[in-house]
Amino acid sequence: MASADSILVVEDIVKRFETPDGVLTAVDHVSFDVAPGEFLAVIGPSGCGKSTLFNVIGGLLDGYDGRVSVAGETVSGPHPSIGMIFQEESTFPWRTVIDNVAFPLEIAGMGKSERYDKARHFVGLVGLDGFERRYPSELSGGMRQRVSMARTLASEPKILLMDEPFAALDEQTRLLLGDKVLQIQQDLKQTTLLITHNLTEAVQLSDRILVMTYRPGKTKRIVDIKLPRPRTSEIVGSDAFGHYVAQIWNDLREEASKGLKDDEQRVARAGAVRK
Amino acid sequence: MAAAGHMTASGAPARTGGMTLRRQVLLLRIALLAGLLGIWEAAAASGLLFRDVVPSLLTIGRSLFELLAVPDFQWEVGITTLWVPDFYRHLWITMAEVGAGMTIGGFSGLAVGLALGANPFLSKAFERFLYYLGPTPKIIFFPLMIMWFGVGPGSKVAMGTISCFFPIVLSAAAGMRQIESVLIRVGRSFRLNTWQMVTKIYLPAMRQPIVNGVRLGLGVAVIGTLLAETKLSNRGVGFLIIDAYNTFDMPRMYSLLIVLFVVAIGANALVGRASRG
Ligand SMILES: Nc1ncnc2c1ncn2[C@@H]1O[C@H](COP(=O)(O)OP(=O)(O)OP(=O)(O)O)[C@@H](O)[C@H]1O
Ligand SMILES: [Mg+2]
Repeated sequence: MASADSILVVEDIVKRFETPDGVLTAVDHVSFDVAPGEFLAVIGPSGCGKSTLFNVIGGLLDGYDGRVSVAGETVSGPHPSIGMIFQEESTFPWRTVIDNVAFPLEIAGMGKSERYDKARHFVGLVGLDGFERRYPSELSGGMRQRVSMARTLASEPKILLMDEPFAALDEQTRLLLGDKVLQIQQDLKQTTLLITHNLTEAVQLSDRILVMTYRPGKTKRIVDIKLPRPRTSEIVGSDAFGHYVAQIWNDLREEASKGLKDDEQRVARAGAVRK
Repeated sequence: MAAAGHMTASGAPARTGGMTLRRQVLLLRIALLAGLLGIWEAAAASGLLFRDVVPSLLTIGRSLFELLAVPDFQWEVGITTLWVPDFYRHLWITMAEVGAGMTIGGFSGLAVGLALGANPFLSKAFERFLYYLGPTPKIIFFPLMIMWFGVGPGSKVAMGTISCFFPIVLSAAAGMRQIESVLIRVGRSFRLNTWQMVTKIYLPAMRQPIVNGVRLGLGVAVIGTLLAETKLSNRGVGFLIIDAYNTFDMPRMYSLLIVLFVVAIGANALVGRASRG
């Protein structure tokens, strides 16, 4: 499957964690490859290993089996072409919005006025004009998530990994910001991987969707989304769109219910132990 | 007081509420101070206690004036000679010793704390001992310090150093472990080098615990230095205090304590401001 022109190749990744209850397989033999400029969504039930997979690709975890390569070069540690937006709250509370966004530029050694100009552009892009001098503690959760998004976008990575960046947003902002991300992605020909729980978002934005199984996290299916580009949030109303959503929802429901059952059993077991 | 408390609770506009509250606090403090001074003066006048142990406020005031404003020492500063109260020379010596101790103990404490925070192996091996040594009165090391560094300023600085080292090392190590792991992942994914990780992520993220450590460290460094100055010494504020005590010059001793108190409050306020600034 790995074609010569893939920019990112993920081969047979297995990641296990030692936990107090024994070894937990978070990612189980996941393989896929991504063409330059492609938009791939990763979707799967909570706890199935999506974030773990991203941390492996981003070079932030070691002790895994398999191989990740970027443009043919095996990744060991964070790769300069990869930019990550994390699931957790990740703004620097001691920096203002503009200084947060300018952070990667500062690290790259860019001069002050140049990096502020550039950072201001990205602050505007995520709709935070006028908040440049504010500290993260003065913003809402969704606004903070947009700051970390702008910060990673400002570093203009060739490959962008986004872990539920829109989770804290309302539906309208989510759609509008999705449009903007798509626009940037198309303009910069950025290769993008997006973790999401939102089917609409996944289908709206992606070329392909990787559906993962509940623990251990395996590839359940990779779905090609053959909807015409350029897309905007308006496509959400179309029949073809609804068809894709229904198909993936079917896959997901199966996995999600496994997850729920598993949780219930665990709760029951814990209850029994406590008695 | 009950009536005043009721007034603020009854939902006056926030702004004026804040103003009156602040004024009330100020008034309460003044009242407390006046009360204490009154009791002191009454005790002094009653003659129930030794008059020399509880001297009247006037005597203390006069002694304070002598201490701070009556020149009795020729201080050669560079090429000029100043005619100043001797107290300032001693104060300067003590401050320089505390400053040197804080600098050495602070930076080494920070460095060791960062190493312990970053390395679970080191922390497992050594941190427990630091916890045991931390609360031990450091004066027990003084004989050793005298042997190593002599009776001069060296042993005083050493006392200040080991005193402030412990609180700073422990709060730096704990502070480092409290950093949100995602912030470290952000730094790594932007490929920061070690120096950039320390200066751009660890230190700013640990600012509050470090400031707290420095505050505690400053307190014990002052204590350690003053204690050291009271033994085998002829310089510094600690020496002045013990000297006043030995010559039974109680008013002078109280004046020294008052000045020390004011200096300590000032230093603490300075650290507090630095933490916010
Ligand atoms: N550092 C770790 N140590 C031990 N177990 C871990 C660690 N990180 C993740 N896990 C476990 O691995 C599994 C997958 O976690 P992961 O965060 O990748 O899930 P996820 O798919 O991103 O879930 P969500 O959608 O809720 O974010 C979980 O069961 C989690 O408990
Ligand atoms: Mg996750």
